[in-house]
Amino acid sequence: MRAIIVSMLFAAAVSAADTTPPDFSGVYYPAQQGRGARGGRPGGPPAARGTQPPRPTQSAPLSDGSQGRSPDAPSLTPEYLAKWEVMRKSRIAGSYEFDNNAKCLPPGMPAMMGMAYGMEVMQTRDKITFFSELNDALRRVYLDGRKPSQDVLDDPTYAGYSTGHWEGDTLVVDTVALHTGSFIEGFTPHSDAMTVKERIRLVGPGLLEDRITVTDPKALTKPWSTVRTYQKATRPKDELREFACAEGLEHSK
Amino acid sequence: MIRAIPATVVLAAVLFQARPAQSHHSNVLYEVTKVVTITGVVKEFRWVNPHTWLYLTIDDGKGGKTEWKVEGRAPGILRRAGWKTSSLGPGETVTVDMSPAKDGTHVGIIARVTKADGTILSNQPSFQ
Repeated sequence: MRAIIVSMLFAAAVSAADTTPPDFSGVYYPAQQGRGARGGRPGGPPAARGTQPPRPTQSAPLSDGSQGRSPDAPSLTPEYLAKWEVMRKSRIAGSYEFDNNAKCLPPGMPAMMGMAYGMEVMQTRDKITFFSELNDALRRVYLDGRKPSQDVLDDPTYAGYSTGHWEGDTLVVDTVALHTGSFIEGFTPHSDAMTVKERIRLVGPGLLEDRITVTDPKALTKPWSTVRTYQKATRPKDELREFACAEGLEHSK
Repeated sequence: MIRAIPATVVLAAVLFQARPAQSHHSNVLYEVTKVVTITGVVKEFRWVNPHTWLYLTIDDGKGGKTEWKVEGRAPGILRRAGWKTSSLGPGETVTVDMSPAKDGTHVGIIARVTKADGTILSNQPSFQ
């Protein structure tokens, strides 16, 4: 209850501000499960840290698809489900062929907004930049009213091309020109027709929420939505580390 | 020395991760539903991305030695979990809980490392 009141007061404070957009700048980590997007208490205290040693397999959740697709995973058309099956078989066999992270490729949109290794947001009036510690990956969101040129649309990239505008305290972002080698989440594939819409806002002190909707008429039977929530870090955890991914590739052979 | 974790622990681990967690760890090489424990001597610890690597020499129980290499999480993650670049040094004895490679080679993915003095190096970062 207290957390709800705090959130309401916070929302009131934000809406009472003038037309100056909120400042999202800072370093963030994914908010703990059970908070924010997962139905918890935005702005509430972090979950208690146990003193027990971690469960041995906690570091290595299964991501080879051998458990099938989660009910809340994107709903794929038969053509793209077949592509996923090919990748699933490859992964179950222990291959890195379709594992972009293992190959040091950029995480790509919209999967990169998982930001499992931390995110730095750099904001100016005309541009907001999201940096992912994982693979030192960047995406830029232009806020100055520009639109993607035909040259940009003809040259897809992992992060895609993002433009945004403010609707009150919410940053609304559209992303196009996405490389088909990236994934929606996990290793869910997409087509060259994929577009991503995001609504990003602060939902509590230091708590940033990104509501993501993915549309892809070729790969998805219906648009897929997810919510990512990030907690702003304080010193000394507000420093991300360089990734330099290629340095360790020799050990993976 | 290698010993298997009791079946109940393995079952608990399987149940625990019935819902695939969001992770960027490349674990497709490994039987992540299995956990084995090895104790050996550190040969080399490489603090590199995309993942760290720990090279170990272990006693095979038959009078010989075998070489293992086990994969750890990324330096940024481990640093936030309390590791340092100097956490593991050549010549020290460590116990590693790990999931072994699917192909049966002497490769694994680290769940946690316990030093000779009992210090546990966890995989779980603290962000605050």
